[in-house]
Amino acid sequence: MTEILRVNGVSKHFGGLMAVNDVSFSINAGETLGLMGPNGAGKTTLVNLITGKYLADSGNVQFMGHDITRMSPYKRCKLGISRTYQIPRPFPELTALMSVAVSALYGKDRVNQGLEDAATEATHYLEFCGLFSKRNVLGKDLTLYELRGLELARALATTPKVIFVDEVMAGLNPGEAVKAVRLLERAKEEFGVTILWIEHVMAALMKAAQRVVVLHYGKKIAEGPPQDIANDPYVIECYLGSCHA
Amino acid sequence: MELEIKREKIVLRAGTQKFEWHIEPRYWRNPFIYIGILLLATVLVYFFSPQTLPTLVEANLLAAIAIPLGWMTVGTGRMNFGPQFYIGAGGYAAALCSIHLGWPPAVTLLVTLVVGLVFGLLMSPLSIIAGGLYYTLLTLLFPLVFLEITFIYTDIFKGDTGLSGIAPFLSGGSYTGNQLMICLLSLFIMLIYMFIVDKIMRSKFSASLAAINDDEEVAEAMGVNVKKIKIISFAIPAMMIAVIGWFYAHYYTTLSGISYLPLSFMLKVLMVSMIGGRVQIYGNVVGGYFIAFMELFLISVIGDMATVMFPVILLILLLSLPEGLFGLYRKRRYREYLPTLHVRR
Repeated sequence: MTEILRVNGVSKHFGGLMAVNDVSFSINAGETLGLMGPNGAGKTTLVNLITGKYLADSGNVQFMGHDITRMSPYKRCKLGISRTYQIPRPFPELTALMSVAVSALYGKDRVNQGLEDAATEATHYLEFCGLFSKRNVLGKDLTLYELRGLELARALATTPKVIFVDEVMAGLNPGEAVKAVRLLERAKEEFGVTILWIEHVMAALMKAAQRVVVLHYGKKIAEGPPQDIANDPYVIECYLGSCHA
Repeated sequence: MELEIKREKIVLRAGTQKFEWHIEPRYWRNPFIYIGILLLATVLVYFFSPQTLPTLVEANLLAAIAIPLGWMTVGTGRMNFGPQFYIGAGGYAAALCSIHLGWPPAVTLLVTLVVGLVFGLLMSPLSIIAGGLYYTLLTLLFPLVFLEITFIYTDIFKGDTGLSGIAPFLSGGSYTGNQLMICLLSLFIMLIYMFIVDKIMRSKFSASLAAINDDEEVAEAMGVNVKKIKIISFAIPAMMIAVIGWFYAHYYTTLSGISYLPLSFMLKVLMVSMIGGRVQIYGNVVGGYFIAFMELFLISVIGDMATVMFPVILLILLLSLPEGLFGLYRKRRYREYLPTLHVRR
């Protein structure tokens, strides 16, 4: 498998707090990479560094041969990096259709694409995420599960190569969580995207991810196949305390 | 060139180019009806009550300020509380060129456009750097600082007496005839602005504006070049608002900052936006006429106390009609800035 994204010794601090400390890893094309760690481990900060919300203090990020460390978020999106949010952030005053149409319009440069063309394309992604019947509902009126679907549809509409999925199961009931995981798997199959999946729920990552990276206090403490990570004493100690290790 | 009139659209073919104008089937949404009503009202006022023509001019100009301001508000995701700054900049540029260089209104218009654009571009980074209360305070402050400058440099701006001797739009002819032509010019400017902003709000550009208005961080993550769109949405409306300053200068042939730069003028513009509904282009026209005639009525009834009444009315409007008059209509429909696209399977 070819390497699609490489993070080299990336660090970020906020005042005296070292949120991400010299983290390095890579993602291969078509892979699902799990990113896990206790609360405050720096998982979302790391995603923010890769997607461009924050700029790294040191280190660099390479995406398909481009150095994107200092690139604007919109340029990274056009290159093929998209994301969802831990707490869904819909466009509250836009309908589901228009929210996805925005991504279809601006996610990737397409020749002569009008608003109607983008809307037609958006219906495809909405239907994929099971939200076609909600296409004319405002973002603020959707349920949490629907918002998760909308975020995925919005991310897919940018025609990404890598999607960063931030805790897709948070706040969902077990039935909805299973559906959300299936949706991600289908997205990977149908659109051939690479997924970096931040998750607390170990069981979900054990099934879906080929490799897992574990962060603790901003540092990478483990990387490898899920089974190895699940049996790593230091990972267990970080999650459950030293008496369980 | 070939013109083809169909039931649902008008098609114009010129060489290889094809232009289509779709006819709105719902007559109450057809803009031509309202343009006809406004023109008819202007002509009727000219024949039956010519002294009301200045009020119509004021109404058109208030709407013409509020329309680009609406674009600026959506495109930057922030409310600019100092649109009168650009009126002052455009007005003084036109007035100074007219007085000192003797340039006619057609030439000073070009100067105003350039000055408005330059000031808009200079101020536009504010919409990227500042947000929330800081943006509000800064935009509120700029017109007041400009007003102070007009008092400090009295040799240039003539302080509170203002500049006089600006070339009028029309010289000679009957007074009411000139008033009618000026009123029609103000209506033309307002309609042009409405046409431009309406076209923008229906284009694919509007999708990025609406996304920025809702969540600019997410919009940027979805590929929208937020900075570029914010600068465009700040600088061009600023230029459009500056043209109103040019109009005031040549209409009254005098210009003093104290008339347009204080908060009381901003309050009127804000009320136009509030009555019509934030970022409702057609609502701004209703708001403009409502405020112009309400001001006329209040001055005739309570005199100088009218200025005090404006904030009170604004407060009542904010509490009772947070989405303006158009909000009442939109409550029955989807509340969004773009036309809802219904796509069939």
